[in-house]
Amino acid sequence: MSLMRPVVTGVAAITPLGRGLAATRAAIAAGHSACAHIPGHAALAARIGPFTTEPEMPKSKARRLDLGSQYTVVAARQCLADAGWDLAGREERTGILLGTGSGGAGPLTELERQIVLESPEAASPFLFPNTVANAPASQAALELRIKGPNVTLIQKDPAGLNAVLYARMLLTDGRADALLVGAADEWNAVYHAAYERLHVLRTESHPGFVLSEGASLLLLEPEESARARGAAIYARVSGTSFVGRSIAPYRRAAEPADLVATMRAALADAGLSETDIGLVHLSANGSPKTDEPEAEALRQVFGDSPRARYARVKDLLGENPSSGAAQLALAAADLRDEPALGAALVNGFGAGGNFMSVVLTAV
Amino acid sequence: MSERRAVVTGLGAVTSIGRNLEETWEGLVAGRSGIGPITLFDASGYRTQLAAEIRELPGGYEPALRRRLSRSDVIGLEATAEALRDAGLDLDREDPTRIGVVLGGGVSGLLDSENYLEALLTKGPGSARPTQVLNHPPDNTTVRIAERYGFLGPRSTITTACSSSATSLGYASDLIRHGLCDLVVTGGADSFARLTHGGFNALRAVDPEPCRPFDRRRKGLTIGEAAGILIFEEEERARRRGAHIHARFLGYGITGDAHHMTQPEPTGEAGARTLAACLKDAKLNAGDVDYVNAHGTATQQNDSAETYAVKRALGERAREIPMSSIKSMLGHCLCSAGAIEAVATVLTIERSVVPPTIRWGERDPECDLDIVPNVARDSRVRVALSNSFAFGGNSTVVAFGAF
Repeated sequence: MSLMRPVVTGVAAITPLGRGLAATRAAIAAGHSACAHIPGHAALAARIGPFTTEPEMPKSKARRLDLGSQYTVVAARQCLADAGWDLAGREERTGILLGTGSGGAGPLTELERQIVLESPEAASPFLFPNTVANAPASQAALELRIKGPNVTLIQKDPAGLNAVLYARMLLTDGRADALLVGAADEWNAVYHAAYERLHVLRTESHPGFVLSEGASLLLLEPEESARARGAAIYARVSGTSFVGRSIAPYRRAAEPADLVATMRAALADAGLSETDIGLVHLSANGSPKTDEPEAEALRQVFGDSPRARYARVKDLLGENPSSGAAQLALAAADLRDEPALGAALVNGFGAGGNFMSVVLTAV
Repeated sequence: MSERRAVVTGLGAVTSIGRNLEETWEGLVAGRSGIGPITLFDASGYRTQLAAEIRELPGGYEPALRRRLSRSDVIGLEATAEALRDAGLDLDREDPTRIGVVLGGGVSGLLDSENYLEALLTKGPGSARPTQVLNHPPDNTTVRIAERYGFLGPRSTITTACSSSATSLGYASDLIRHGLCDLVVTGGADSFARLTHGGFNALRAVDPEPCRPFDRRRKGLTIGEAAGILIFEEEERARRRGAHIHARFLGYGITGDAHHMTQPEPTGEAGARTLAACLKDAKLNAGDVDYVNAHGTATQQNDSAETYAVKRALGERAREIPMSSIKSMLGHCLCSAGAIEAVATVLTIERSVVPPTIRWGERDPECDLDIVPNVARDSRVRVALSNSFAFGGNSTVVAFGAF
């Protein structure tokens, strides 16, 4: 009854710190931060800036796509290339699962603007299909001709981790041979302004999180078939966990006990103990109400002088489900380069009492 | 170890034709339409001024909480309360960590954030209430349900446009199948907004008149809103506690078309692949199927492509069985369509009555299956499928069977 522990055979990360995982890792290693002031706002944002879909997709095609979809198409092509996964003949056995917090936000606000300020007749039929949150996954599937399961999940911060949980269930039941799994987001001015006025975003004088964007993906496959095709394996997905707390959807709050339970459940699912973990990707994003209980929970699980290295990349990358997916990609790459780390724990402790952890193991 | 399977032990509904499950079912069997003039905003500039709105929202919330709930939250909470009562659960005796919530959602509280955006665009940032944006994220309803009942198990919100809540049933059944939950509140709640109405108008995919699925004269869909909630429970547990079991969840198929963002693959090849994946997962043969609850949106493209798909997947059997579209009565409830149609499919099995496709008058040679025109029909249904085909080519088919 236990879930499959699929392996990661490809990774890709389009983040505000780099157009690809290697560039993102280098920027993090150099301590660069993408969090910056944007004109007209007190709150910081972690934006990608000018972006080209070339060489992965011609610019002429990209024009029809919202930014989240553009990031996703590029990440999907990079991820499949990295994995050496040839789609030809396997379209129906390859799927895509994405988390998102803001998929479709750009086209949505533009279409609303047309309807409100101009007229319903002015609404563009070309924008509407991209207002749905599943636009990035579906546009990528359309562009790459991926015909297997195609699912988008919304769960604020941990949506990308949730996609990993669903991927394990789909692969266990043989619904696909390989799944692109991760998250995609697009920064949006309207959302930014609204959150800014609610005082949850970081400013010079106020702690908070920084809204981010990007698309990060892992290719997950059953270990046996990945080995049979001679794929290079980054890591194994060996544990996933979810713990809930009864609070309002947008509230950020956690008891250390909730987060201890989340991390321990993922370790138990992986059949590991805390001493096996060499790397922890923190959920911490600058929001004191979840960062502080996470710090306390880490002390309770790993002690005051942990063997594990703590990576706090959301300070540099910003927050959104795509950042959680980027952490998974970063952790997978670290485990490949430093197998002595043993295993990595990735935390996603989001608003609304949605707490998830994922364990990746070196192979 | 024997396989863990999901059965349906609770049902709840809030629709344009009924404040609860029984009113909704009675309306479906009577062929009652929920389609009428739009009241939620000024619809005068649109191609159609019609939708299947829920006329009267459930009340009983203290004002401070009500202000924080979207329309989708309110109808979702109401349908959940009904489904939990129907399931006869004593929640005080349940382990809350074993209860999950998995819904489809998408439009969610968009109507509220549209009010924010309208104020922002027309009157400037000073007069816009940013808390209205908080109602938009589609996972709010999921979290609201978990919050209200203290459910602490896995939660998920699926957003794949019109197949969202059908896919949520699949995810929910997987949580039970793989032992992560014993009970899951699943289905969906989605409500009306300018954006969806305006978007389908812009695509010219809405019929200026009430929709006519499978009719030669059909010109598009009519948008609706609904909540449909199902309680999925692990079968052995449900039997042990002597629960009333409405039906079994037999399985689901999930595929991508990769054909076009807004058009279905016209030959039915893609839809047939989803149907075949569902039959395989549910260990069914085409000959086992007694009823298909159609996606049946009443767009030219969907209804013909869906007919081809069902004929490809079920072969001869397609001509022998009924296939109706309750969207003719409830409109297209978008991200909750799969949920409310699953609720109707379960009742079709349990009560041996097939709801009709109303407003049907002219035969379309491309839609030549038995669509149960205008009048409900008594029919023994042991196994039924419900189709959901979405924008982006996200397709899901679910199968239910008699217990």
